[in-house]
Amino acid sequence: MIQTIVKRDGRTVPYDRGRIERAIFKAAAALGGTDESIAASLAVKVEEYLTDNLHNTKPSVEQIQDAVEKVLIEEGHARTAKEYILYRAGRTRVREMNTGLMKTYEDLTFKAAVDNDVKRENANIDGDTAMGTMLKYGSEGAKQFVEMFMLDPKHAEAHKSGDIHIHDMDFYTLTTTCCQIDIDKLFTGGFCTGHGFLREPGSIQTYAALACIAIQSNQNDQHGGQSIPNFDYALAKGVKKTYRKLYVKNLAKALEAYADLEDAEDKVKALAAAVKERTGAVPAYLNQAPFDEAAKEELAALGLSEDTIKRAQAFALRHTEKETERDTYQAMEALVHNLNTMHSRAGAQIPFSSINYGTDTSPEGRLVIRSVLLATDAGLGNGETPIFPIHIFKIKEGVNYNPEDPNYDLFKLACRVSAKRLFPNFSFLDSPFNAQYYKPGDPNSEVAYMGCRTRVMANVYDPSREQTFGRGNLSFTSINLPRLALKSHHNVDFFFELLANEIDLVFDQLYARFKIQAAKHVYNYPFLMGQGIWLDSDKLGPTDTLEEVLKHGTLTVGFIGLAECLTALIGVHHGQSEQAQNLGLDIIGYMRKRCDEKAKETKMNYSLIATPAEGLSGRFVRLDKKKYGIIPGVTDKEYYTNSFHIPVGFEISAYDKIRLEAPYHALTNGGHISYVELDGDPLQNLDAFESIVRCMKECGIGYGSINHPVDRDPVCGYVGIIGDTCPRCGRHEGEAVSIEKLRELKKTYPGMPDYECYIH
Amino acid sequence: MTAKKNVETVGENVGFERIRRITGYLVGTMDRWNNAKRAEEHDRVKHSTSTMEQL
Ligand SMILES: [Zn+2]
Repeated sequence: MIQTIVKRDGRTVPYDRGRIERAIFKAAAALGGTDESIAASLAVKVEEYLTDNLHNTKPSVEQIQDAVEKVLIEEGHARTAKEYILYRAGRTRVREMNTGLMKTYEDLTFKAAVDNDVKRENANIDGDTAMGTMLKYGSEGAKQFVEMFMLDPKHAEAHKSGDIHIHDMDFYTLTTTCCQIDIDKLFTGGFCTGHGFLREPGSIQTYAALACIAIQSNQNDQHGGQSIPNFDYALAKGVKKTYRKLYVKNLAKALEAYADLEDAEDKVKALAAAVKERTGAVPAYLNQAPFDEAAKEELAALGLSEDTIKRAQAFALRHTEKETERDTYQAMEALVHNLNTMHSRAGAQIPFSSINYGTDTSPEGRLVIRSVLLATDAGLGNGETPIFPIHIFKIKEGVNYNPEDPNYDLFKLACRVSAKRLFPNFSFLDSPFNAQYYKPGDPNSEVAYMGCRTRVMANVYDPSREQTFGRGNLSFTSINLPRLALKSHHNVDFFFELLANEIDLVFDQLYARFKIQAAKHVYNYPFLMGQGIWLDSDKLGPTDTLEEVLKHGTLTVGFIGLAECLTALIGVHHGQSEQAQNLGLDIIGYMRKRCDEKAKETKMNYSLIATPAEGLSGRFVRLDKKKYGIIPGVTDKEYYTNSFHIPVGFEISAYDKIRLEAPYHALTNGGHISYVELDGDPLQNLDAFESIVRCMKECGIGYGSINHPVDRDPVCGYVGIIGDTCPRCGRHEGEAVSIEKLRELKKTYPGMPDYECYIH
Repeated sequence: MTAKKNVETVGENVGFERIRRITGYLVGTMDRWNNAKRAEEHDRVKHSTSTMEQL
């Protein structure tokens, strides 16, 4: 006798056989059935089956539905059963859509980020702010919409079950990942932001300000990061303009003071133009002599004595150098501040900005590099470590790697700043897979990285355009390698079979997404495409679709957890055995080979990326734990190891880690990064720091960085390593310190933050 | 109780900021990291700067 049932939400409610009758009749009616009495007698049978066969007198809704299916089939109503199953699946879908999404919304609304992992999925979005929450509403709703209505069910199932992970699924129908912005091209002749025309910049300050605007504008058209590949080369032009302007002003000032010259500025301007016309010489930073020598003729023509000319030129040189250096530093300081405070995406997120530099050996380019490094070293207003931009210092032999190289001093400085501020990271243009494209002095031939690791260069779509500028990733999808290994039960051949199928599935899915992206129009991306940032988009009109130009971008297969995959297959990972390393290289080498073949066959840039695994590192392992239980070395942590990395908890020398990871850099043409973790303060041992960078270069790493703790006490402003107590003011975390003590400390450390804001 | 709040001190309940790298980029404080990345950071084996010379 059934009196109550358990609903899906756990509530107990009175049992009503009439509901079963009606559900069965509805399914039958859909097939043309009209006999309600059959439905009634079937409902009785369902009830009997539950009580007599299952001895279940308090069934759940699910159990009742299972019983209905069983009874319908056994009683010969197969077609009705089928209809009922369809009806039930449809209801489940709607319910999942409603309850799943609404539950997510409820959590977003009422739970603080500290209790809600969804809100912390991306660490650079503050999920607690109004706009951050709004962004999450949109993103979670979009993900479910895409999963249910846009994806091929095969791809949706593979994603949902954790065989693969389709990244940035909330943007599936909207846009592409990232772009390397050639700001030099963008600035030439000026550009539009959608809210107005901006003239070609005339000074280093405006160059820097517009660089920020370019990043911000483009970030609104894409879901990933934005990078400037030619930061030094492009901004050097701003320094040149600033220097010339300041030189004219200062020479005029000197001539006014020393020789009472009237309308001095106009005269000097005219004179500079005449000198340029006659000799080609212009005032130039750290290369003033040619102009000064040539200008003597024009200056003498103004009736000035040799002595006055000499003194005025010396004055102008001295002041112009100093002021140019000051202006450049201030411009870089403002850029760093801007990139840490400006917002995109409805104010919820700071743009993911990256800048690549290090190889421009011109005096102006060198000044840009030095200034941006020093501004980063100084930190933000209260000495905070800037989070953005990601700096990528390009290492190149003959340019900055050896003591005799022209930018070696800047490499040294980059090490010092990175040892304090975690940036710059280092990219290695001599690694063979980067060196093959390198042409001296041409930044477009230098591989640049998107800060997180993405890399573009090869171009099967248009081999004459193997370049960095104006290109980026379109989308990427990662394969759960440990899952495939667990499925293969230590059978390596079977593993490769499964991997082959999974790669095919991902190729299909990437292409399906590409078709959606390709059908978009230039007007959907007013900056990225409308301003010609993306390669060849300047050849399109506003209503053209993007299919052809997007083919310059990459479609990327990623992977997670090589280490756990190897452990599942042969019991050890690549840090533990040579055999595992060889198998690891076979696996990743196979994936690369498949991408190359696919690229060749389709003339599209399929490539392999060592996935950056922020949101994903926990999801795969959670799902696999449920499926396979806790397997030592595989599912026994809360995360899978990043891409091809040696597990972070494995004891290994920094050198061995670099040596073992380097060969994977050569295979992952869509992007890669290796880290070395340091404890202690690397500023105390800069030689060691530099030796790690050199080791990366010698081992053939493409992109690497060194992690070390950077702590800060916001009360006294101390930056460095803080254990239990602050080395400067002595307080414990959360503990108060006397104002008197802070006043005393301020005498020694005048740059200390203003602690007034902590007094309520 | 007569113990009045001592306004001559600051910093109560103010934590230390601990900046770390997640996947190529930095985050200002680990408060915003998701659970898995927190666990990963916790497990990272650090190499000593003093023994680096041997490289
Ligand atoms: Zn302190």
